Amino acid sequence: MPRTALQNIDLLQGTLDLIVLKTLSWGPMHGFGIARWMQRTTDDALQVEEGSLYPALYRMENRGWIKAQWKLTENGRRAKYYKLTAAGRRQLVAESESWAALTSAIGKIMMATREPA
Amino acid sequence: MKTDDERVPAWRRYLRFWKSSPADDVRDELEFHIQATIDELVADGLSPAAARARAQENFGDVKRIAATLDTLSRQRERTMARAEWWDTIKQDVVFGLRQLRRSPAFTIVAVSTLALGIGANSAIFSVVYSVLLRPLPFANADRILALGQRDGSNAVCCLPFGNYAAWRDRTAGFAEIGATWGGSSVLTGTGDPLTVGMVPASASYFRAMFIPPTLGRYYTDAEDRVGAPRVVVLSYALWQNRFNGDRGVVGRSITLSGNPYQVVGVASPDYILAPPAERVWVPLAIPAQRLSDFSDHELRVYGLLKPGVASAAALRQLASIEAEIARQNPHSGYDGGVSAVSIVESITGPHRETLYILLGAVVLVLLIACGNIANLLLARASARSAEIAVRGALGATRGRIVSQMLVESLLLALAGGVFGVGVAALVMRFLRASPVQMPRLQSASLNGSVLVFTVLVTLVCALLFGLVPALRAARTDLQQTLRDGGRDGRGGRDGLRKALVVSELVIAQVLLIGAGLLIRSSFAVRSVPIGFDTHNLVAFGLELPHSRYPEAARLSATFQSIDAALAAIPGVRGVGRTQVAPIQGFGYDWTAFREGSNGHDAGATGANMRFVTPTYFSTLGLSLLRGRAFSAADDAQGAKTAIVSRGLAKTLFGDVDPLGRRISNGGGERPVWMEIVGVVSDMRASGQKRDIPNELYMPASSVPNGAQTFLVRSNVPTSQLVPAIRRAVKAVDPQLAMAGVTTMDAAIDKQLATDTFSRWLLTALGFTGLLLAAIGVYGVIAYGVSQRSHEFGVRMALGASANGVQWLVVRGALALAAVSVVCGVGISLLAAKLLTSMVFGISARDPLTFVVVTGVLAIVAVGASYLPARRATRIDPLEALRGT
Repeated sequence: MPRTALQNIDLLQGTLDLIVLKTLSWGPMHGFGIARWMQRTTDDALQVEEGSLYPALYRMENRGWIKAQWKLTENGRRAKYYKLTAAGRRQLVAESESWAALTSAIGKIMMATREPA
Repeated sequence: MKTDDERVPAWRRYLRFWKSSPADDVRDELEFHIQATIDELVADGLSPAAARARAQENFGDVKRIAATLDTLSRQRERTMARAEWWDTIKQDVVFGLRQLRRSPAFTIVAVSTLALGIGANSAIFSVVYSVLLRPLPFANADRILALGQRDGSNAVCCLPFGNYAAWRDRTAGFAEIGATWGGSSVLTGTGDPLTVGMVPASASYFRAMFIPPTLGRYYTDAEDRVGAPRVVVLSYALWQNRFNGDRGVVGRSITLSGNPYQVVGVASPDYILAPPAERVWVPLAIPAQRLSDFSDHELRVYGLLKPGVASAAALRQLASIEAEIARQNPHSGYDGGVSAVSIVESITGPHRETLYILLGAVVLVLLIACGNIANLLLARASARSAEIAVRGALGATRGRIVSQMLVESLLLALAGGVFGVGVAALVMRFLRASPVQMPRLQSASLNGSVLVFTVLVTLVCALLFGLVPALRAARTDLQQTLRDGGRDGRGGRDGLRKALVVSELVIAQVLLIGAGLLIRSSFAVRSVPIGFDTHNLVAFGLELPHSRYPEAARLSATFQSIDAALAAIPGVRGVGRTQVAPIQGFGYDWTAFREGSNGHDAGATGANMRFVTPTYFSTLGLSLLRGRAFSAADDAQGAKTAIVSRGLAKTLFGDVDPLGRRISNGGGERPVWMEIVGVVSDMRASGQKRDIPNELYMPASSVPNGAQTFLVRSNVPTSQLVPAIRRAVKAVDPQLAMAGVTTMDAAIDKQLATDTFSRWLLTALGFTGLLLAAIGVYGVIAYGVSQRSHEFGVRMALGASANGVQWLVVRGALALAAVSVVCGVGISLLAAKLLTSMVFGISARDPLTFVVVTGVLAIVAVGASYLPARRATRIDPLEALRGT
């Protein structure tokens, strides 16, 4: 599958947040893990500059949606794991709903068969 | 449900645990990411160097991102710190409230003591603020001077008309010089006749002391002339009370003493510095003949300096005018001195010392209260030392324990402050209702400045009584305390508590000695013979309006029929009249001038001149020392006659018989000579604290005057006499209004009202201080007994008598009292200096006061130890030894 033009497009801040929240809903994960998971799930369709993930993580932590904790990985390395807080879970629900509404609305426009009056 | 992780401190605990800095965290985190990518790529077969390059390319600008993350985590740190701080405070407050609730007796005692102390402070401060600190309402208050003549080194209150006019017309440095006079008038046509203060004031007065009028305008120079149509400015209170605040009042005509006046404006309420607030201002309109009067000091004069002119220069020029007047009028008795004080000083100066002393006294009482609470807290801290030790053992830092204890103190102080505001409101109601005459006292209120003061006092209190106990508590020796099972085994802490109590006793002593001095001095004032019998003497003013009594003959006849009607009241023994009664005010300011004097020897001296009826002397009870009293023959057409007081006779004539000699008012060009027909005894007509004034009397009939003060001597109680007088006056003319009905005793009380007020306040504060200090002594001694119960038990088991044990305890109190008395006397000797101007007739180091107060203090201190001493004798040796 060809890489989409998204590669060169900055993901909207809110969209990135939503993706991170969704990723973390499976369980605690470190930044590298989040990046890989995003990559794999989208079949490399979404390639963000990996570094830009971290400011998003920090901002979300400051907002209280996620919290961080240093833990050891399976390989015995120290890594910073992020997990959803209750507030983050609520945020995820709210944002997925508005995402669904947005995509469905845009979908309807894209599928439109009549020209504007 | 909240999980454990969600609380903020858990996160902080984790941070502390790792002791990692946010910057290191960021670096580690990014390093991990890149390393993980490299591992992955190497596993895919890339060389390590290529893998690193690729990983960094994928990641983006590491430095920039790290910087962003640093900023973000620092932001987070700050938020967290703030949240944690609030969380701690919240915890401390909750814990503190719980502690205070757990010991309601302590809390109630502490809070109510503080409420009284803080409330009294706020109330007195509100008076200090209103009377002394608040800016004056005048537009250019910093340029206004109260002006007068100087007689040697004494400033003379008022200025003759001639001098005023000369100053006003010839001044170079003053933009305006204005003058006011005194008087009263009867307002009719707006309900019952009402006696109002009528202040003749020059038009320039309102310009010199300008405050924008509430309504209309002040009058102009053109209206301030003899013969100009009569105009009047109403006071704000009069406008509100008698004209219902009707804005249409301007332009209307009102009737004052029977004459019509056109209202031109309503003055700003700020012109009224002291009651009565119902007044009118009318133009001074100086008659031409008074312009050459350089001897009667009648006018209060105020000057507004021109902008940029130094007061010294302006005054030098006035002095040169004054010197010229003195040269031209050598008989005026004045030689060119000019006195000037700033308007602020002239209004607030006389009250500053009294108010600051009272403020100092309430602060001292509050200090004693703080000492007591500190003592209670220290006792509580030792009672709680086990709890504190446990908290320390569980990891609470000293800082945390100190802040916890301080929060508790702050809560106490805040509660005290809140109730204190209520107390202040009550105290202020009392202060405003008191008869004390202080400018702007009536407008004292709990305004913003007073509330800020209250908050500051509250915070300072919390620190004063909370800091030392808190620091002490934090120093608790964990092991020692836990081993002692909470018993305080050390004496050092007791020493601090004793020092506190000694300071309380010292402060109480200072206050009581102050109160004692004022009490002694009031006895001294009251015991000064006033020179006439003040009991059973009623005084009131009555004005026969010129409009209805235009002829002198009818005026005199009416007054005489009122005299007769009053004399006919059963129980009335005498009726006399004058313009201004003694004690209530001065007579006319005269320069009594002996025939043949050059004006600069003893033959010219200041005197109070009063017009009096023949029965005035007998009614007051002055004795006729030589010659005769006035008779009905000494009337306007008869020979000019005068009667002098003994002191005046002595000053003017020495040992020579004054009868038949002639005197006049100043030398002047064409003096009017009066023959002295009698000498009467002296009296302290200006009050017991003043010197005996020289009194000069002239027959009331010689210059008929519509405004008179009646003096009625009777053996009937005032409550019955006054209605009878009212009926008698109405019977002569039902339209007359009696004004200022009072007894002479009440007039004297009123004159001494400020002294009485300071005395009562200081006495109340002194005894409050004593009571608090006694409670402090009791607390320390009782605590000492409870700490030494073991020792006392042993002593009694070994055969010590109850008396012996009791003595041990009392001896402790006696030692405290002895130390404080020695310090107290020393400090009081220094502090008494402050009271020098407030005491009268005794030394500010009056030995009797010092001895009595010291005795009282010692007795109270020892008395306060009586209950604990009794308790000591009831200690059961067995129980004490078992050590409960």
